[in-house]
Amino acid sequence: MRKRYIGTALLAVSTLLGTTQTMADDYPERPVSLMVSYGAGGATDFQARLVSMMANNENYLGEPIVVINKPGAGGRVGWNWFASDAEADGYTLAAYNVPHFIAQSIEGGVRYDADSFEPIANWGADPAVVVVAADSEFNSIQELLAYAVENPGKVTVSGAGLYVGHHIAALQIQKAIGGKLAYIPTKGGGAAAMKAVIAGNVVAGINNLSDAYRAREAGNVKILAVADTQRSEQFLPDVPTLMEAGYEVDNASVNYRGFMVPAGTPTSVIDFLASRVPEMFSDPKVAEQMAAGGSGVQVMSREEVHAMWAARQETLNDLLANL
Amino acid sequence: MEFLQHFGGVFEPLSFMLLLGGTIGGLILGATPGLSPTMAVALLIPFTFQLPATQGLILLGAAYTATVAGGAVSAILLKIPGAPANIATSLDGHAMASTGRGTQALHVSFLASGVGGVVGVLLLIFLTPVLSRWALAFGPSHLFWMAILGVTVIGSLDSRSFVKGLLSGCLGLWLSMIGYDDIQGAQRFIFHDSLTGGVNIITALIGIFAIPQVIEMLARGRCEHKVSTVSVHRQSLLESLKLLLANGRALSIGTFVGSIIGLIPGVGGQIAGLLAYDQTRKFSNDPDSFGKGNPAGVIAAESANNAMVGPSLVPLLTLSIPGSPTAAVLLGGLLIHGIFPGSDLFDNYPDVAWTFINSMLIGQILMVIFGIWVASHAARVAHVPPPIMAAAVTILALFGSYSVQQSMGDVYIMLALGVGMYLLEKVGFSAAPLVLGLILGPIAEANFIQGSMIANAMNGPAEYFLSGTLNLLLLILVLASIGWSFFSTHLANRRARNLSNTAEVSLES
Amino acid sequence: MNPDTAESMPLSRVQHLVPAAAVLALALIVAWVSFTREPSEAFLFPRMIASVMLLLALWNFIRASLGLARVGDGLTRKGVGAITPGLCVIVLLVYVAARYLGFYSASWLAFLSIYSLYDPASHTLFAVWVKRVLITTAFLSVIYALFSLLLQVQTPRGLFI
Repeated sequence: MRKRYIGTALLAVSTLLGTTQTMADDYPERPVSLMVSYGAGGATDFQARLVSMMANNENYLGEPIVVINKPGAGGRVGWNWFASDAEADGYTLAAYNVPHFIAQSIEGGVRYDADSFEPIANWGADPAVVVVAADSEFNSIQELLAYAVENPGKVTVSGAGLYVGHHIAALQIQKAIGGKLAYIPTKGGGAAAMKAVIAGNVVAGINNLSDAYRAREAGNVKILAVADTQRSEQFLPDVPTLMEAGYEVDNASVNYRGFMVPAGTPTSVIDFLASRVPEMFSDPKVAEQMAAGGSGVQVMSREEVHAMWAARQETLNDLLANL
Repeated sequence: MEFLQHFGGVFEPLSFMLLLGGTIGGLILGATPGLSPTMAVALLIPFTFQLPATQGLILLGAAYTATVAGGAVSAILLKIPGAPANIATSLDGHAMASTGRGTQALHVSFLASGVGGVVGVLLLIFLTPVLSRWALAFGPSHLFWMAILGVTVIGSLDSRSFVKGLLSGCLGLWLSMIGYDDIQGAQRFIFHDSLTGGVNIITALIGIFAIPQVIEMLARGRCEHKVSTVSVHRQSLLESLKLLLANGRALSIGTFVGSIIGLIPGVGGQIAGLLAYDQTRKFSNDPDSFGKGNPAGVIAAESANNAMVGPSLVPLLTLSIPGSPTAAVLLGGLLIHGIFPGSDLFDNYPDVAWTFINSMLIGQILMVIFGIWVASHAARVAHVPPPIMAAAVTILALFGSYSVQQSMGDVYIMLALGVGMYLLEKVGFSAAPLVLGLILGPIAEANFIQGSMIANAMNGPAEYFLSGTLNLLLLILVLASIGWSFFSTHLANRRARNLSNTAEVSLES
Repeated sequence: MNPDTAESMPLSRVQHLVPAAAVLALALIVAWVSFTREPSEAFLFPRMIASVMLLLALWNFIRASLGLARVGDGLTRKGVGAITPGLCVIVLLVYVAARYLGFYSASWLAFLSIYSLYDPASHTLFAVWVKRVLITTAFLSVIYALFSLLLQVQTPRGLFI
């Protein structure tokens, strides 16, 4: 009789204890967190919530993904935490923004670089675009940049922060025209930078394609150029790339977003995620919602993301070394 | 009057159920420490995936309204402001609750919220085109002056010592600079690892208000207490209604300030309550009674908080610019249904837009009804013995501060700030100015730096910050506010000196 | 319990002077850090704040040493004695138990300890302990339902949840 009690008690204790050893086999067995290093309501947060909404489906993770926001300093706060404090057990994922975190790690003062993280998959690509207010005197990118060459340092350009995609695009444009722009980083992300353009606080702005597309639909801005190697056929077929307009600006500033885990996460967990997550991103329901919000989808596998990270690292090393 | 045609949509069975659920859920989430309205609305977004656009927005609109008002419950009963908006509410609300007028404080808080909220939504309905231009008028230089105007309130928040009040404000401003600098990305004042993320405002609120409260309860030791922390006598709704009407001035100041401030993107919601509280106190015949349980304080703060809700959506609905974090989350709720807010929102999707706005109007009324029902149960909190109360507030503070960013570092910061604040309060420093500094520091700094950068590309900072009607108007308001603070402390000192003189004379004779 | 009588009791000289000195020291540290660290653009605003803070702290210290404005209730020996055990429990559980036992288990222990330490009822009665454990468990169940089930907050896990 007593033995049976002890047996039951031991069973109860072992179910409470047995969390770490058998993890890799039946992963995931509880909800998974996804850390977003920007505030709730920003483009990254919004898209992260969209692409992870199907996670509960048995074909994908079979457990829900819960978004946690750790905003601050253009993403440095969240990624610092992720690199040094997050447990590498597969239950804490993070959204990456390239080129942001790579540029920040080159600039220094942070606890991470590309080797601190393991990519899982990419869900979207959001190129930077050059915008001016709807009532601006500038109607083409050539007019704006010619004015900037004549008046060095007088053209104020708002963007979401230092060492984020928008800043990289501004640096590339400066290099291409051999002139100087007054880049104004804003606190509060792309939305605040866009407000500065619409309200006329600044001459022009560099912003996300998805936000600029929406602002143009609302009749608030003109989009002058896209900082990518090809036009956005889906959303802005009429807007030229900077390359077409005659400026040597490639796609280094395109904001790629995806999932990653901390380095040191068990290989079996990484493999599981790398096989399931891209399928989740490609779910028709996700694609439909993303398109409705004006966000470009570009699903890339773990290998493709690895290659993309390495390519960015090289470009940015060159670009930022010249500063 | 187009909005009247769309009232029917709100009363369809599913819509009304969602409205009801959103309101009740919002009140509960709003009353939970650590859950700001922004987080509450963000948590609801996944639920709206499954719903048609109109219904999804009804849920979000109702939840937004109710969480803002629900924060008053924990502010009044536990002295834990759920969000920065409720700080001013806790000043007089908790003082009322600890002198046996908890139900009344909740009553007037919800009634004032309802009045302010309805006025705010009506402004949204009728004046949106006019107001949207006003919202864009505020550039970095104006927002900087707005933040400074907020800082000047510090002088009048502390009636005990002028220097210590200002010094508390400075401490708050300094705390807000800890961590990575948002614009340059430089590390500042990171003395401990958990400070890299800076001091989160919600975490700080919980620590600064709840922990001293807990320690105060512990300080009474292990003895029989007849006095409990919060006591509630029976108070009729009618009496509370009379009280609200008797404080018409506080109600109108709150509603007015809330609606105006709510419009300004980036500043509004956080300081509307405190500015309204400060104005009401300055216009009051008896400014010394504030902070000691004057219902006018609660009325001004809560009417301002909810009056801000409607106008804060103006920039979002007309210009597609989210003026506050909550508006940004609501924008997400619109986008997943392929609805792009903008000047033509009301032409393209009249049913969605108007049903959303109407649901906020009806939501305000439902919120008042359920709020008053909650108030009638507040008596139960009063019967909780202090040891259980202390333990419960501690656990709520731990969970609240942890869940903001799911970080243990925040819990450590919360505890350290709480214990520090207890000691500081004991020697005459105060929490309210400190928190105000903490909120306004980043706004003032970011706009100052941004303004200077723009100014350098133009004609220099002096012209940028000091020219233009709006800049000058705000500057005059700042100077008037500082002048009034000096003048009123001078008056108070003289009154106190006269009083003590007469007291001494009477003692000597 | 009239708040006026509590406030009119002047703070003792030591309790008035020591915090003023401490705040002055803090202001000095903040000013020193602000004016020595680089990049200077990032420390522009902290320098402004630090200067004002130093000025105010100095003013406050001078007033304190003159014995002016002794506002606040101060700390009493009895009060500190009553606070210490409860505060120790909280600090210990947050810093140690949350990591090794798990957030909910630590909170359960913290609730029970604070409640029991300050509960005037006798510690030797069995029924009292049953009541304490029941109330603690009930409260933590509500917290679990709210934060873990409804809001899906992931709390630190140790030996238990």
